[in-house]
Amino acid sequence: MSDVTLARESRIDVPATSVSAWRRNPWRKPRFLQAITAGYLIWSIAPVVIAIVFSFNSGRSRSTWQGFSFRWWYQDPFDSLWNDLALRSAMFQTLRLSLLTVLLAVPLGTAFAIGIDRWRGRPASTANFFMLFSFVIPEIILGTSLFLLFTNLLRNAVSLGTTAQVIGLVTFQLSYPVIIVRARLLSIGPEYEDAAMDLGAPPLQALRRVLLPLLGPAILASAALVFADSVDNFVTVRYLSGQAPTEPLSVKIYSAARSSPTPAVNAAATVMLVTTLVVIVLAWLAYRRITTIRGEEPSAAGLAEL
Amino acid sequence: MASGAEDAPARSGRAGADGSRTSGAWFPKSYWPSFTLPASIWLAVFFVLPFYVVLSVAFGTVDPLFRTPLPVYQPWWWSFATFSETLQKFVGGDPIYLDPLIRTILYVVAASAICLVVGYAVAYYTARHAGRYRGLILVLLISPFWISYLMRIYSWQSLLQPDGYINDIAGIFGVVPIDWLAGKPVTVILGLVYGYIPFMILPLFGFLDRIDVSVLEAGRDLGAGALETFRRITLPLSKPGILAGVVIVSLPMFGDYYTNNLLGSQRTSMYGNLIDNAVGQAGQQPEAGSLVLILIAIVMIPMLYYLHSTRRATEAS
Amino acid sequence: MLHPREPRRSISRRDFLRRSVGAAAAFPSAAAILAACSKPGTTGGATGSTSGERVLARPDNPVTLAMTRDPIAADTPLEAGPLRVYNWDAYMYKKVLKAFEDEFDVSIEVTTFNNMEEGIQKLVAGQVQADVFFPTTDYVARLAERDMLQPLNHELIPNLEANYWPTFSDPGPWYDREWRYTVPYVIYTTGVSYRRDRIPDSDADAAGYDLFFDPRVRDAVSYYDSYRDALGMMLLRNGHTDANTDDAAAIEQAKDDILQMINENGARLTINGTYARLPEGEFTVSQAWSGDIVGAKWYLPRDTGEDVLGYWYPADNRGLIGNDTITIPSAAESPRLAHEFLNFFLDEHWSFVNFSQWNGYQPPLNSIVPERLVDEGVVPESLSRAVLGEENFTMGYIQGELSADADALWLDAWSEIQAGG
Repeated sequence: MSDVTLARESRIDVPATSVSAWRRNPWRKPRFLQAITAGYLIWSIAPVVIAIVFSFNSGRSRSTWQGFSFRWWYQDPFDSLWNDLALRSAMFQTLRLSLLTVLLAVPLGTAFAIGIDRWRGRPASTANFFMLFSFVIPEIILGTSLFLLFTNLLRNAVSLGTTAQVIGLVTFQLSYPVIIVRARLLSIGPEYEDAAMDLGAPPLQALRRVLLPLLGPAILASAALVFADSVDNFVTVRYLSGQAPTEPLSVKIYSAARSSPTPAVNAAATVMLVTTLVVIVLAWLAYRRITTIRGEEPSAAGLAEL
Repeated sequence: MASGAEDAPARSGRAGADGSRTSGAWFPKSYWPSFTLPASIWLAVFFVLPFYVVLSVAFGTVDPLFRTPLPVYQPWWWSFATFSETLQKFVGGDPIYLDPLIRTILYVVAASAICLVVGYAVAYYTARHAGRYRGLILVLLISPFWISYLMRIYSWQSLLQPDGYINDIAGIFGVVPIDWLAGKPVTVILGLVYGYIPFMILPLFGFLDRIDVSVLEAGRDLGAGALETFRRITLPLSKPGILAGVVIVSLPMFGDYYTNNLLGSQRTSMYGNLIDNAVGQAGQQPEAGSLVLILIAIVMIPMLYYLHSTRRATEAS
Repeated sequence: MLHPREPRRSISRRDFLRRSVGAAAAFPSAAAILAACSKPGTTGGATGSTSGERVLARPDNPVTLAMTRDPIAADTPLEAGPLRVYNWDAYMYKKVLKAFEDEFDVSIEVTTFNNMEEGIQKLVAGQVQADVFFPTTDYVARLAERDMLQPLNHELIPNLEANYWPTFSDPGPWYDREWRYTVPYVIYTTGVSYRRDRIPDSDADAAGYDLFFDPRVRDAVSYYDSYRDALGMMLLRNGHTDANTDDAAAIEQAKDDILQMINENGARLTINGTYARLPEGEFTVSQAWSGDIVGAKWYLPRDTGEDVLGYWYPADNRGLIGNDTITIPSAAESPRLAHEFLNFFLDEHWSFVNFSQWNGYQPPLNSIVPERLVDEGVVPESLSRAVLGEENFTMGYIQGELSADADALWLDAWSEIQAGG
């Protein structure tokens, strides 16, 4: 609606000045934008492809190709992904942390979003402020603060490791489901739920039978986002990691990059990439199923949400 | 205000003045607030409380033998010696931390600007001109989210080696090999751009995609040229996206230390490196706490501006 | 000309530290915490320590650490594991760890730290639980005093006396007479490694430490990300031979020189510069622990010969020298297994495998004849300076524990270096 207002404003003082062909026909493919986009995509994806390719390098180098082999996948008796327990346990730690984070952050965030959407008092806006604050604050601040919390005040209650890492991740990720679910709440409006309650459904039942299914896509989208972002996380999980088995893959990659890198790290990252892709595709299929059942168009924006 | 059924389409004024929903007469007053309780408690314990500990560490002291921090939790016993000493390192007579701060600001501004320009072009093209490749391009644009940021920077580390592919390619054009990783600001800035630009593209795409084509056509029908349409319609309409993108991209950069650790040197140390070094160094955790407090103060202004404008946007919608 | 900021120093950290420790004592809460941390009776670890002033162990002032408890009994049953090892990254050959796992049917979990300070912090804070810990010698006394280490039962470590150099056997080293808490791991000197295909030996010999400032190697210089070694070597280069100095001016000078090296010659602080990135070709000159450069051959590209690796150490053997130790923290859950681990790493065979097949760090084994390491092909001819003989320890400079004041000066200089110029 505001779009229209703006367009109306522009109508008044847009002078007709254009002369060039491009200006006269902006719907024509703008070649330079196309070039930038293509260049960007190559720039953004080529390094990843090269990293995957180098996991098959037969030499130790990550920069000079020395022939194809599965040495870093399973052949090397100590340093290959298959034989390096530390690397494998790092991948499982990453998955464990991401799953636990999804299980905690999504319900907490969804409930918060529903509550804050319906309850508009001062305490609510304070809580919401802190929520958004946690969304924009540089991660290093949160990571070091939690590190100092767990190594000082709560040192006897929570030790560094999985618990601390999950707490850190949930705190950092909580705002995603809140933002996504709230956006969805705004777009579906309260009428369905109101109708259910007008028909005599108790509030909890209306919530469970009407609202939650409607929120399904948003919840799913935020779960996928939280999962992917937790896999990606480095700063928080590094500060909060303790014993070796609690070091997730990102931390292992970082220490490897700074100490003794081998292409086995590339192999591990490749496996993680495939795992995340599978999760995303599954979520996408589920998303499509939910939305098509309800006759909604599975939109590109939905994909973007994922 | 108006009651539920009527105001729903307008999506405003759904809450009564006292905060309870108008159509939910039988709700206990604490019904909706109780939904927010678990997450609020979570935030109080794990988001607000840690900051108190940061204060206690920054204003506390250290163990004399191992120099581990001894936080002081009673504000009346706080000592501000470390904090003021840390502050002196920025504004005092011997500002040894001023250079990293200035570098950080320059790098963040440069990287955010590149992110914005390139990101806008890519988002604009994808939203407007991608045609049947749109879905594919979108997937490719989102794909970096699914690959660990560390992994992507790590692969750049390989590519930028003296014998890496970048120098090989440059060699074709007769450029002598460059030590990209020897603390070159351009490497660090491009590393930051590489790491954060997806966070710029997506909100921009979201806003650009939402602009109704008919509005643009209207503008053109009224005689506006393409550039004019862009400047007068597209740009203003995507302003919230620009703001969100710039904030989402630049704030984390202020705390980034790993990009520089993997692609730069001490010559390109950033603010995040100061914090990370102090956290890991014996006896310096009070200083780390002080640095965190100073960083909070530095990023507070853009953060509050962003929160303010999003709240205004939410209220307006 | 060198540096834009010549006049400096406002508040010295030393003053500050003294002040804040004083202040802490004045604060009841902080004082209570302090008192709780340092148990009375355990503080007299170093012999002859008087109240307040710690006596710092030095080669010419060896210490016997107080025994605060009994070692575990020799008939303690073997635990089921896992054995948790806390060590530097890439410091143990995985094959040797595997052999231990197979022999004792346990699994080993290796947690790593990037520098000693990080390792100590996490251990002291109880954030890492370890059965075996590898501290540098300067932390041994402090750890023992805080009751962080447990005394060793020598009956369970027969290899210690059987296999090791007299310097390291009886009466034990300067930092731990009688081997009450530690066994030696490996020995090393700290010198300069370089690519012989880019820098001729004669140039390296002539330049020594000045190689770091050679414009020919600009942007290809690596220096250790470890404050004692980094500043210590620069002090030596500047003719200051006290590796444990509290001379503020000397430290200041060393710091300025390192900053100059970083800003003008593109030096980078790394931990893998010598053993990984120099052989890969990224660096031409790198500050090097002798073991790192010997182990560097495993990172050479296939078509590059071992003889491209060179190592310079002062011809008169007056350079930095040291050894690392293996200890068992008092909180170990598998102390008997830990004893077996220590014994295993002191075993002639496995110790040699660890050294020669991967790690590159020389253990002070009687069975190793330093002169023969080159002939036997364990160490390439070009790295003959990286081999240590027992006599090196009488000539080199050893890094001991710093006094709190001195340490504050060193750390202050270090954080300025890390912040860059």
